[in-house]
Amino acid sequence: MSRFFHGSDSSSESSSEEEELYSESEEEKSAESEEEESEEEDDSEDDSSDEDGAATGVNRFLKKDTESDAEESDEEDKVTVVKSAKDKRFEELEGTIRLIENAEKINDWAVISTEYDKLNRLLPNLIKQNDGRPPKLYIKAIADLEAFMQETVEKQKVTPKKMNAVNTRGLNAVRQRIRKNNKDHSKEIDKYREDKDAFMQEDVIEEAVPVAKKPKRTPGDIEQEIIGADDSGFTMVGAGGRAVKYTPEEIFKNLRTIVESRGRKNTDRLEQIKVMEKLLEISVTDYQRIRVLLTVIPTRFDLTSGTGNQMSQEQWKVAEHELTQLLQLLEQSPDLVVVEGAEEWENDEKQPTLTPGEIFKIPGSIVSFVERLDDELTRSLQHIDPHTAEYVDRLRDEADLYSCIVRALLYVESLKSNPKLEASQDSVNRVVMRRLEHIYFKPSQVVAILEENTWKRMSENADSKITPRAESTNTEGLVQTLCTYLFQNSEGIIRARAMLCQVYFLALHEQYYQARDMMLMSHLQETISNFDVNTQILFNRTLVQVGLCAFRAGLVYEAQTSLQEICGSNRQKELLAQGLQMQRYSQISPEQERLERQRQLPFHMHINLELLECVYLTCSMLLEIPLLAQVGSSPDIRKRIISKTYRRLLEYHERQIFTGPPENTRDHVMQASRALAAGEWKKAADYINSIKIWELMAQSATIKDMLSEQIQEEGLRTYLFTYAPYYDTLSVATLASMFELPTRKVAAVVSKMISHEELAAALDQVNDAIIFRKGVELSRLQSLALTLSDKASGLIESNEKTLEQRTQGTANAFERQTQGGRGGRGGQRGGRGGQQRGGSQGRRNNFTGGALGRVGVQT
Amino acid sequence: MADPTTYTASSPLKGVQVEALVVMKITKHSSQTFPTIATGALVGMDVNGILEVTNCFPFPTVDVPSQDGHQDTSNLAAAAPRAKANVAYQAEMIKHMRDVNVDANNVGWYMSTNMGNFVNLNTIENQFFYQRDINERTVALVYDVNRSSQGSLSLHAFRLSPQFMSSYRENKFTTESLQKSGLRYQDILVELPLTIHNSHLLTSLLHQLPTPPPSEELKFPADLADLKSDRLTKQPPFDPNYDALDLSIDPFLEKTCDLLLESIEAHHTELNNHQYYQRSLGREQAKITAWQQKRKAENAARVAAKQTPLPEDEWQRLFKLPTEPSRLESLLNSRQVEQYARQVDGFTPAVSGKMFAVKSNLLPGEGA
Repeated sequence: MSRFFHGSDSSSESSSEEEELYSESEEEKSAESEEEESEEEDDSEDDSSDEDGAATGVNRFLKKDTESDAEESDEEDKVTVVKSAKDKRFEELEGTIRLIENAEKINDWAVISTEYDKLNRLLPNLIKQNDGRPPKLYIKAIADLEAFMQETVEKQKVTPKKMNAVNTRGLNAVRQRIRKNNKDHSKEIDKYREDKDAFMQEDVIEEAVPVAKKPKRTPGDIEQEIIGADDSGFTMVGAGGRAVKYTPEEIFKNLRTIVESRGRKNTDRLEQIKVMEKLLEISVTDYQRIRVLLTVIPTRFDLTSGTGNQMSQEQWKVAEHELTQLLQLLEQSPDLVVVEGAEEWENDEKQPTLTPGEIFKIPGSIVSFVERLDDELTRSLQHIDPHTAEYVDRLRDEADLYSCIVRALLYVESLKSNPKLEASQDSVNRVVMRRLEHIYFKPSQVVAILEENTWKRMSENADSKITPRAESTNTEGLVQTLCTYLFQNSEGIIRARAMLCQVYFLALHEQYYQARDMMLMSHLQETISNFDVNTQILFNRTLVQVGLCAFRAGLVYEAQTSLQEICGSNRQKELLAQGLQMQRYSQISPEQERLERQRQLPFHMHINLELLECVYLTCSMLLEIPLLAQVGSSPDIRKRIISKTYRRLLEYHERQIFTGPPENTRDHVMQASRALAAGEWKKAADYINSIKIWELMAQSATIKDMLSEQIQEEGLRTYLFTYAPYYDTLSVATLASMFELPTRKVAAVVSKMISHEELAAALDQVNDAIIFRKGVELSRLQSLALTLSDKASGLIESNEKTLEQRTQGTANAFERQTQGGRGGRGGQRGGRGGQQRGGSQGRRNNFTGGALGRVGVQT
Repeated sequence: MADPTTYTASSPLKGVQVEALVVMKITKHSSQTFPTIATGALVGMDVNGILEVTNCFPFPTVDVPSQDGHQDTSNLAAAAPRAKANVAYQAEMIKHMRDVNVDANNVGWYMSTNMGNFVNLNTIENQFFYQRDINERTVALVYDVNRSSQGSLSLHAFRLSPQFMSSYRENKFTTESLQKSGLRYQDILVELPLTIHNSHLLTSLLHQLPTPPPSEELKFPADLADLKSDRLTKQPPFDPNYDALDLSIDPFLEKTCDLLLESIEAHHTELNNHQYYQRSLGREQAKITAWQQKRKAENAARVAAKQTPLPEDEWQRLFKLPTEPSRLESLLNSRQVEQYARQVDGFTPAVSGKMFAVKSNLLPGEGA
């Protein structure tokens, strides 16, 4: 929400500040922005009157100048106003009025306009000090000013000579504002006009005692009032009877009130939206429409702010529709651009006049709209039960959303290509990323359809430089291009995400080696913990997808290694953001849980967890069973465990007294494991192949074939490990027939085992037999004894270390004893002979150095 | 039987004399419950420092449905001698025995074990319970099922040393206290010499045990030699025990190795605990020194400013030193290792002899 606000509505910082603060100084600010607006208006008018579009540069410069001037004066004012007492204020008022009068004499409307603004700015303070009534001086001044203005206008109509541009501008501004302002003070003004002297007399008398009069108001004041009235902003407008008479002229004023009431409590947003819909209907120019749309879309998003609830489908659709409309409008009128950080047009009465060929900037952010729209859809998908028709229904909107994104991308791209605009690279990156995130997890056929439909919706001549229309059918190319674009133009998280998306996509499309290389080259494993949680989730997803891809390619070992981290943790759900895992002893605060809920991926992006588990267990089985057979009973390698999860399951399964026919995936794998361990590879293959979940994979038949083959091979290995001690020789042909493998394959497997020193044997190729070497294997007692001696020497070493520490390596009295013990270990038992000291001295010194080093560190 | 007047509390127990009946009962009970540990009570009498064990009875094992696996039931069985229900049962049994005029003094308890794997906290606690609560002059008979099956009967009598008793009573097994008391792992258990005693009546009965006459019709002896070797005529009271000629050494050594490795693992665990303790102690002490220095500096400043100095012993309140882990486990572990070593030591000479005997017989040309 905050991001959205930030990006889209730079409508005016001043107004947003107004909402927050209630100090005097900010009243000035509002005035200041008003002033700016008038300057701006002047500017454009200037352009039109000069009939010279080429003067942009100078004008811009001028504008900036005046602006800064105004700002400067504001700055000064601020100081004085804040510090002034009542008298000082009145003095200032008088001074201002004098200036206006002087300007009237020389017909300098520019000065009048500025001074008039200043006057109005002073007014609220004066009213406050004058018991809620405007001072008479002020009334007099404005009444006179009105009269003079009318006079001037009349005169101008008569005289053919045109006024100076600056003057015209000032005059117009003043006229508009006077008309508005004086309405509020009409009573006083009338009184004044009836009898000027009497009125002023009264004034003189009552100068000290303030008069009770209705305060005169500027539009800025109305806003102030709204703020003061605490959130009843809209109702006030309604009460004013303005709700019924929307005219194209008043669009901006209405918009302003709405924008100002934004983010406050008790504003009826639905009502506002209705108003804006009406405004949209009556708006005439593109500019008006764009402005209305730019306001109505965020308001729709605001309807459901807060983390708990999601946007209703209707609202979302309307918002989407409006966004499309907006984009269409923008496409049609290239002169109007919506960019972030543009200046706001503050004059509600007047529209900017557009010169063809000249670009007019409107503040707003299309990218944020798109992002918000995307987020809202995701959020709503998170909340819908994925097994209902509603979900599918909602999912259809994704196509609309996607075309919106593409459209926005085209638009942002066009902005970017315009060198005058200096559009930020960031926004393009963001849209590209969004687009990528909508396609990376989809199979290419789906993406192709999506792309096709999207381009169909777009006008014929629309085309993108990043992703040309011609290439839209080539999905892989599309992903490639999008990612490459991001690699080139972005950095940090977006780049990493793009990388992960591409890896995911490649893995999804069976390009294991490419995916793996990219994954490794990215070096994200080392830095992923520094990224935000969503990127970490994406990383996990990618890792899992790579693992699955390896499995489909028949690379069991690689698959197991990739999946190990996620599946071995028992927290798959959490790591992949596919549902909350209720842990028994977890102490998750509701806050954390809420955050976690927000992170959940919508169902259509899920990776099937059951399939994942099945793949993981199958891979583990294929690796673990031969390992278990190889390890047998030797205690050294007993510790080597590939997958703890699998081991635990297997142990649990073996403990069961009665095992029924397998019911779920796990049972299948476990029973297959047992069969494989017993050498019944056929049974194992049957069990594995009867798992139903393989059907979910593309080309399940190939997968099953691959699995059968793997099982045959691992079965052979298991058999050799288990029964090698009982054979002297073994015919390869027998093995081949036993496992229904070609002889060459058997020979290959056996050779591999021999070369890895897993099997103490030789391959007799003449007789086609395996000859086992006997007595090479250590007996169990021998290996146990070896382990024991290792451990014992370890203990001795650690004892020596401890002694070193205790004696700080100085006490020789102890050293002699331990040394003797060490030296005598081979020969005499428990010998404490000092005579052996020399023999072991060298080794001992080395060792001492290490221990000393440690002592040095510790002390 | 024994003269109660000779009984003196001061003289230490010198040995244990076990009736054959007791041995048989223990053997039967232990092999029945194997591999679960069997426990029971011993009754008998103390005669001049010789503890005569004349009878025994098993403790009932509570049949808890084994949900948590094997480990728990064995623990339960091992802890049986000091279980409340069993104490009552024991008292009841002894009362009944008195009624039938059998020795009715509780002199200890017995337990079965496997490969000498009995030096653990459970045993210690049981024996401590007996020696403290019931009678100082009690023993624990340890029957090793596995070793007995390999030939020689393995039955040992143990007591806790008085030194250990006092340490255990205070339950202080810190490095400091151990250094002070000089308690070593060798001093935990005291083994008493054990003799098996048969009454003369029994011995003569054994020698005269009549064999039942053969039921089937006997064949006539073919020759004189046949007649001489007739099994009916001369039957020694005990058949030679062929178990003693068992040549398989591997299983025993393997098991011992396994157990030794286990002990080393346990030792490592204890070591790690202790190292952890030392590290945390070091940290705390560093903190305390830092605090003390700070306080000293502060006090110096306060004295200079003529203020009353702050107390310097507040650290005792502020910092809590970690408690030292009990060294008892490692002591017991060491004792256990010693037990294994002794077993192997006792095993090897016999086996070596057997091996040599076998070798000279089997190798042709070398036979003497």
